[in-house]
Amino acid sequence: MTRYPDPKQVGGDFYSRNFAKNARPDTLILNLGPQHPSTHGVLRVLLELDGEYILRAEPVFGYLHRMHEKMGETKAWGQFMPNMGRVDYGHPLSWNWAYCGAVEKLAGIEVPERAEVIRVITHEMNRLTSHLLWWGAYILDLGAFTPIMYAFDDREHLLDLLQRPTASRLTYSYFRFGGVSKDLDEKFVEGTKAFIARFRQRLPMYKDLVTDNIILRKRVEDIGIIDQDMVTRYGATGPVARGAGLAYDLRVSEPFGVYDRFDFKVPTQTTCCSMGRYLVRMEEMEQSCRIIEQALEQLPGAEGPHLVKGAPKPQAKMPAGEAYFAVEGGRGKVGVYVVSDGSKIPYRVKLRAPGFSNLSCFAEACQGMLLADAVAVLGSLDLIIPEIDR
Amino acid sequence: MSIHPQLLHLIIALIAVMAWVGLNALVLVYFERKGAGFIQRRPGPFEVGPQGIIQPLVDGIKLMCKQLVMPTGADPVLFWTAPLLSMTPVLLLFLVLPYGPWLTGMQIDLGILLILAFAGINVLALLIAGWSSNNKYGLLGAARAVAQSVAYEIPLLLAVLAVAFTTGTLDFVKITEGQGPWPWQWNMVYQPLAFIIFIISAVGECNRAPFDLPEAESELTAGFHTEFSSMGFGLFFMAEYSYMVVVASVASTLFLGGYQGPFGSDGWWWYLPKVYAILMFMIWIRWTYPRVTFVQLLNINWKWLLPLGTVNLLATAFFMKLF
Amino acid sequence: MKLFDNLPIECKARADYEKTGQEWVFFFKPGVLRKAVQRLYKDGWFLEDLLALDTTDGMLLVYHFDKMSRPGRVTLKVLTSGTEPKIPTISDIYQGADWHEREVYDFHGVVFEGHPNLIPLLLPAEEDQRIEPPLLKTDKKRTGLKNLMSLYETEVCSAAVEALFTEEPAEEAPAEG
Repeated sequence: MTRYPDPKQVGGDFYSRNFAKNARPDTLILNLGPQHPSTHGVLRVLLELDGEYILRAEPVFGYLHRMHEKMGETKAWGQFMPNMGRVDYGHPLSWNWAYCGAVEKLAGIEVPERAEVIRVITHEMNRLTSHLLWWGAYILDLGAFTPIMYAFDDREHLLDLLQRPTASRLTYSYFRFGGVSKDLDEKFVEGTKAFIARFRQRLPMYKDLVTDNIILRKRVEDIGIIDQDMVTRYGATGPVARGAGLAYDLRVSEPFGVYDRFDFKVPTQTTCCSMGRYLVRMEEMEQSCRIIEQALEQLPGAEGPHLVKGAPKPQAKMPAGEAYFAVEGGRGKVGVYVVSDGSKIPYRVKLRAPGFSNLSCFAEACQGMLLADAVAVLGSLDLIIPEIDR
Repeated sequence: MSIHPQLLHLIIALIAVMAWVGLNALVLVYFERKGAGFIQRRPGPFEVGPQGIIQPLVDGIKLMCKQLVMPTGADPVLFWTAPLLSMTPVLLLFLVLPYGPWLTGMQIDLGILLILAFAGINVLALLIAGWSSNNKYGLLGAARAVAQSVAYEIPLLLAVLAVAFTTGTLDFVKITEGQGPWPWQWNMVYQPLAFIIFIISAVGECNRAPFDLPEAESELTAGFHTEFSSMGFGLFFMAEYSYMVVVASVASTLFLGGYQGPFGSDGWWWYLPKVYAILMFMIWIRWTYPRVTFVQLLNINWKWLLPLGTVNLLATAFFMKLF
Repeated sequence: MKLFDNLPIECKARADYEKTGQEWVFFFKPGVLRKAVQRLYKDGWFLEDLLALDTTDGMLLVYHFDKMSRPGRVTLKVLTSGTEPKIPTISDIYQGADWHEREVYDFHGVVFEGHPNLIPLLLPAEEDQRIEPPLLKTDKKRTGLKNLMSLYETEVCSAAVEALFTEEPAEEAPAEG
């Protein structure tokens, strides 16, 4: 029996040929992506299908690879900062913070209290935009078109607010070594308070209309099981780990910045399935609101400027040494490891992307499931491809 | 030489139906987009013409102006047959629908049978389209389309049969006249289960969300019509909307009293609002619910609709015999 | 940190978490790496990332491990040859290391022995389009380990590792002590 279509006749690229080597003769090899509506950009997944059941999967990526690590080795420390807004368009401020934190550790820069509180506020607001983007896009993957419009409505308000201090709407480059680039003004604070009040009313509506929808529940419950052992073996973090019952949140377990001041809880789910990850993220949005509220109360009392005096210039030299700094991004543990030889230019910048590890679970988690379920699992991992490709 | 009056009637009816189908597709596209806009809290089309009312027309013109593309390795004959095969039977279906007491293209005794028979041809068109385009997404979409249509035709048939039992005829006009003008005289009241089964199966039969698996956008990009461009796609599109109108018309005739109005005010002015109410209901569902998976789709059909339809039919037969 | 006790450790040092983000730093020989990683897996650590560092002393492979139940990071460092870097794979212990190793193979050309599928991950994969590992340093830029990091407070340390860091004693080591 000839395979449809015959790989010899059609050819395919390196990965297709490599994947087809181990394929059974009576199966169909499907290229899901790189240009596919539900792969969020340019992820490509090679699937071996028996009917519509998946026997084997292999994610292929690198279509958005920009070699940020090489760029880091050719630019001065401060000049690399804008790159950090472009690694992950979903939650760029976490990358901002991870890089700034690593360099601050390396150079021993103290961050003023006010800057720390501002960082928390903007970081959490950015997490809300990230989760809203995921939520709308995920439901879109599942075939419902409407929620993304409501999510973007909320997100638009947040972006308008964040635009005031950061001067950009998507690829933020707002943090500086030793603080942030611009102070928050009164209008921002008022607007954020109004937004939180509004968003508090919207969240129950989302729960009623979308989360409790029977079709959605039947679609995502009990599929894509990623349990605690898998989380450990693959190094998955963020909502994927918390959806497996591990209360691992860097904001609590390895507090950075001033997160230890705030009262919030780490939502977990023990079902390990896509619904667990979904519910964790929905609950996280509420917790983010709580953090922002508390931080806004602390803002007037926080001392110091928004940027430390004598903050390093973009071309400044950093002392030799190594430093690792990790923050809790929207997708999990965002880590930056920097090595310096004492010059103006980093010797090595290593970016640890959470999506990279989360996606590596997919091949194991999706075996034996339907094509439609694979799309649901892929979405529940909350993938931002530029972050995975870096 | 004179033309037979019945033939003349048929020709005029066919031309009217063609115009009606085209117009209907445009109106429905406009309604769909405005409805989606309303549900999603955005204006929808509003640039072209007042309230964007000409938008569907210019979209159609745009579609016609596009290039027709056929992928290499596709079967040329079948590839171009498929859209035509999908569109042509629809015209026939509109002929037998009773729009008003004097507005029926062709009144025949077996109207329902004709509709059910010719509606089945659409499946063949989808299968040919998906299979001949030499595309794996198309192939998967075609396989889904066949399994889905075959499955959902059975409960549809059972629901229709239950009505046919009570009225004792397969003629649309007679079924309409068997019901009264007021809502409590409609078949919907006597056959509520059949009505629900009919509507669900109709949504499945039309490949509408949440049962739009053959063209599931986020899974199969566009399913069976992935490779179709220009009016190849346009014909599938029109056929889909026309089938929607057909099932809504059948539903309104069988269950909602058709063209009958109170105090002898029968006419299409009662018929069309009922049809469009059902269509708006389908649009509303589409923009509200997520898509089901294929397993769930078939489970709903074989485990719920089919047994319920059978029970309903047997119960109907039992009561018919009893009274 | 007694996890690696009866393993041939090259160097064991406690680092300052506040300053470097690491709690313990271990140096291993390539042959011992897999045993050490197995112990980490049994103890519930997970692999954060792994990277290579091109130095004049050779290719330094850095493995970062973290634990979900407590803060603190363990860094395993393995020094291999700079011209033909080779190291045993850990992708059978931590499946997540699979892609990390492929990435390091892409960026630095480090060969992971025993890796089941060592093909390019992010860089062009077709045989006629492959490029040189881009993160390899030029001779001018490449520098020694002693200029990049310190040994921290060592508890056990072999002479070989110490020699890497102590050629210029005034630079780093005493400052940390």
